[in-house]
Amino acid sequence: MTSIAAASGATPRDEGGHVVSAYHESLMRSPVFLGMVMFIGSEIMLFGSFFTAYFYIRFSHSQYPLGGFEIPKASTGINTAILVASSFTMHWALVSAKRGKRLGLIVGLGLTLAMGLTFLGLQMREYHDLGFVPSDGAFPTTFFALTGLHGMHVLVGATLLAIAFNRAIRGHYSPDAHLGLEVTGLYWHFVDVVWIFLYTVVYLL
Amino acid sequence: MAVAHGAELSGHGHAHGGGHGPVQVQQRSIWLRGSWVRAIWVSFFFGTVVAGIAALIRNRLGFEAVSGQSAHEVLLTFGLVFWAIGFTVGIGCFDYWWGYLIGSHKWEQEDHSAHGAYSWRDYFKVNTDHKVIGIQYLVLTFIFFLIGGALAEGVRAELATPGTQIVSPGTYNGLFSAHATLMIFLFIIPSFAGLANFVVPLMLGAQDMAFPRLNALSFWLLLPAGLIFLASFAVGPFDAGWTNYAPLSDKTGVGDTFFTIGVQFAGASSIATAVNFLVTIVTMRAPGMSFWRMPLLVWANLATSSLVVLGTPFIAGSQFMVLYDRIMHTHFFDPAGGGNVVLYQHIFWFYSHPAVYIMMLPGFGIISEVIAIHSRKPIFGYRLIAFSTVAIGVLGFTVWAHHMFVSGMAPWLRIPMMATTMLIAVPTGIKIFSWVATLWDGVIHLTTAMLFALGFIFTFVIGGLSGVFLAVIPVDINVSDTYFVVAHIHYVLFGGSVFTIYAGIYHWFPKMTGRMYDERLGRLHFWLTFIFFNATFMPMHWLGLQGMPRRVADYDPRFATLNFIISICAFLLGASTLVFLYNIIHSWARGPIAPANPWRALSLEWQVSSPPPIFNFDEPPQVVGGPYEFGVPGARHAIVTVHEPEPAFAGAAPATLKAPEATTGASQGLLTSMRHILVVANQTVAGDELIDAVRSKAAGEPVRVTVICPQNDPSGEWVVDDREVAQATRARLDATLDRLRAAGIEATGQVVDRDPYTAVMDEVESDRPSEIIISTLPQTRSGWLRRDLVERVRHDAKIPVEHVVVDVGAKPAGGA
Repeated sequence: MTSIAAASGATPRDEGGHVVSAYHESLMRSPVFLGMVMFIGSEIMLFGSFFTAYFYIRFSHSQYPLGGFEIPKASTGINTAILVASSFTMHWALVSAKRGKRLGLIVGLGLTLAMGLTFLGLQMREYHDLGFVPSDGAFPTTFFALTGLHGMHVLVGATLLAIAFNRAIRGHYSPDAHLGLEVTGLYWHFVDVVWIFLYTVVYLL
Repeated sequence: MAVAHGAELSGHGHAHGGGHGPVQVQQRSIWLRGSWVRAIWVSFFFGTVVAGIAALIRNRLGFEAVSGQSAHEVLLTFGLVFWAIGFTVGIGCFDYWWGYLIGSHKWEQEDHSAHGAYSWRDYFKVNTDHKVIGIQYLVLTFIFFLIGGALAEGVRAELATPGTQIVSPGTYNGLFSAHATLMIFLFIIPSFAGLANFVVPLMLGAQDMAFPRLNALSFWLLLPAGLIFLASFAVGPFDAGWTNYAPLSDKTGVGDTFFTIGVQFAGASSIATAVNFLVTIVTMRAPGMSFWRMPLLVWANLATSSLVVLGTPFIAGSQFMVLYDRIMHTHFFDPAGGGNVVLYQHIFWFYSHPAVYIMMLPGFGIISEVIAIHSRKPIFGYRLIAFSTVAIGVLGFTVWAHHMFVSGMAPWLRIPMMATTMLIAVPTGIKIFSWVATLWDGVIHLTTAMLFALGFIFTFVIGGLSGVFLAVIPVDINVSDTYFVVAHIHYVLFGGSVFTIYAGIYHWFPKMTGRMYDERLGRLHFWLTFIFFNATFMPMHWLGLQGMPRRVADYDPRFATLNFIISICAFLLGASTLVFLYNIIHSWARGPIAPANPWRALSLEWQVSSPPPIFNFDEPPQVVGGPYEFGVPGARHAIVTVHEPEPAFAGAAPATLKAPEATTGASQGLLTSMRHILVVANQTVAGDELIDAVRSKAAGEPVRVTVICPQNDPSGEWVVDDREVAQATRARLDATLDRLRAAGIEATGQVVDRDPYTAVMDEVESDRPSEIIISTLPQTRSGWLRRDLVERVRHDAKIPVEHVVVDVGAKPAGGA
């Protein structure tokens, strides 16, 4: 995930300092990017298993949620908007890095990270105010499992963002070398898209 | 293994160092650097601290902090998870990434300090060399195979007679649960990963996997996973079977928590490896290695890895849910709270049926290799085998509910699942028939690998057919949860997977260790395994049809005779493993040195030395054809070269280009009618005796001369610079060519691979010279003569070979 730096002079190198040879020319862009795509495929299936549980339990009951649990649609809607906005700032940061605009890169990443952390904070707040806990029944079970799984992914994404932010400040990214940023961005967009789906299915429908 | 290549290593260094000096690795104290000592203290430190924090939080939230079943489970969960993470941190998997994480380095010069094994100790450290990791995988998984086998012998000991004698029913449940868990998650799946780790990058012509450090992490996750499974015996083993069905798993003892956590680590290891394989196969293929030129083992791993990436998250999900149900008292599988029991089986089998193909497809790949190579024939239906592999992978996701015909699931699912299940017999049948057609009229070499491949076809057809029986709903309802199922799964996983693993280990043993195994002991191992395998599991079909239930410590006395026989045979089957162990260990240490290509295979892993050099290939090989073109005239899979000429040399010496005809300037017709002499020489290449010998041959009629110079390692030097060797060789070659041309002889030449024998035989096959001149130093100083090069070429090339002795020491040859 490391950026390809110019330290080696003319010889192109990959993240590990290997000389990039004919091997890597066979397809696609970069092994790291492709690896992240595959990993996200695997993540989609992990969310898939929990959504399977959610739908299975939901549709095996005629009335849902059982026990009349209420979840806040509006305030979580605002939280959703924050997360969606963070995807745009992430993209801005990436575009800035590609154009060599250091300020846009740092501000963009900083905003993305801040919004990610805000999302997490508000989610914790929501957990606190809900008035029910995972062991209260099937709906709380699936609700907490899905939002919690997503929350963990936001946490991982925020960690990646923090690393990227740190490296951006140290000036590790350049218009030719920002693979780490690109991969982090990809993961962040994934986390965002999963949330949009989750919010629609669990909160709205 | 790589000790023999020590000299070459430093030669390779410059290609990777790129002019930078080697990075000084400061040796920190053993407590602080990546080591077993650090692994032990960090793992327990992590586990204890995190469990302590969890206790503190519980205390703050008003729960019982440390006492009570609930607290135990929670603290245990956190403790185990972070113990395992701490282990991988401590052993050193994250050292490089840590620098990235804190941004301390922009891009760290890779010094390859963790790449390749220089002594046996390196196998016990974090290593990024796919070949080392492959062997680490195979050895570790084989240890788990032995432990899992011992557990199975425990099961058979209990079942030898009716009643419960040796173990309590509870322990019995633990025995078969741990047996299956170890065999599946820590033997079959990772040992295929190990074989593929060693072989796939070589087959692709790559220097390593795409993500070597991730590869190391995948391996080091396995050990904690296995230890967690085994540690459960200390607190009462997990006893809900490897399937860990809810609601039993929700309620049973604390051992089940060990299971759910161990599976997560084994699964994470699988997924990381699979992503690594996929990226490697997509991006690391050598030039010319199109998808349709990949060996079938690579195809098999492509399909398997896709299954792992898409399927394994589902078992992770299912075990997360069981764990939540256990420690957070959620209600996924608890009907009283609105959950659903059948849901568990859906999620579990959505992974675990594809898992059956994860455990079988790599084996199919191995069998395709072994059968084609050891019967000396192009594989029959290459594309269909590749397609059927993918088809099995896709269909594998559509059959999961055939495990659930009696579970009370939605009845409408039954018929579609029965149909898709039976459909899978079609691509599987395509493979079986392709293998049989490959054998047909082949020159079958009954090596141990081939015996296991043939034995596999026999046993797997039986296992496959009983699978078709089980797909039929009425039959399944009758034999569900009986020994018929036990017989089926063992015919598939032992008669299928384990046989293929043995075939693979025997087949690639010379490549991995550089030594040959004992063929006689290998055959003995095969026959013992084959006979006692069938004797053990065949009678289980009858037991199952008569209604003997599986997973019960006791049984009806009317089954006593067969069970006694089965137990005896199971012990003998277990004993047959000792033959294998002895053979492997003894041959690894003392076996005869293996040639580079003992099976005369075409795929790339056999075109490098045994064991392969530390970075596999000096240059990306150029792939020019399919990997199984045995006996096809003129067919070639790949051209493997040592270092390309340095740019300065390539410009100065056009005669060294690898296209002899192009530089002769003669017409094609003339070329073929001319006598063609192949001259093989290295240090003696410009010697007078050699030039005279060629001149005398050329006298009277037009000849075409090709000079090849295998550049060998200079003796008596510790450090070899490949560039220097290549330059010196080329200079000598050019001097020779000049002298020959001055004498009016059309001559071309090239610097070729290290091994003179391979180089000569390659040239003989591809260029068909009419005679060969081999020039060497005098008997006392010639490495080639020590290796009997002249006699071997004379024997194998079947054209006249003349041997010229040049005493370079007396009169320095060449301009260099």
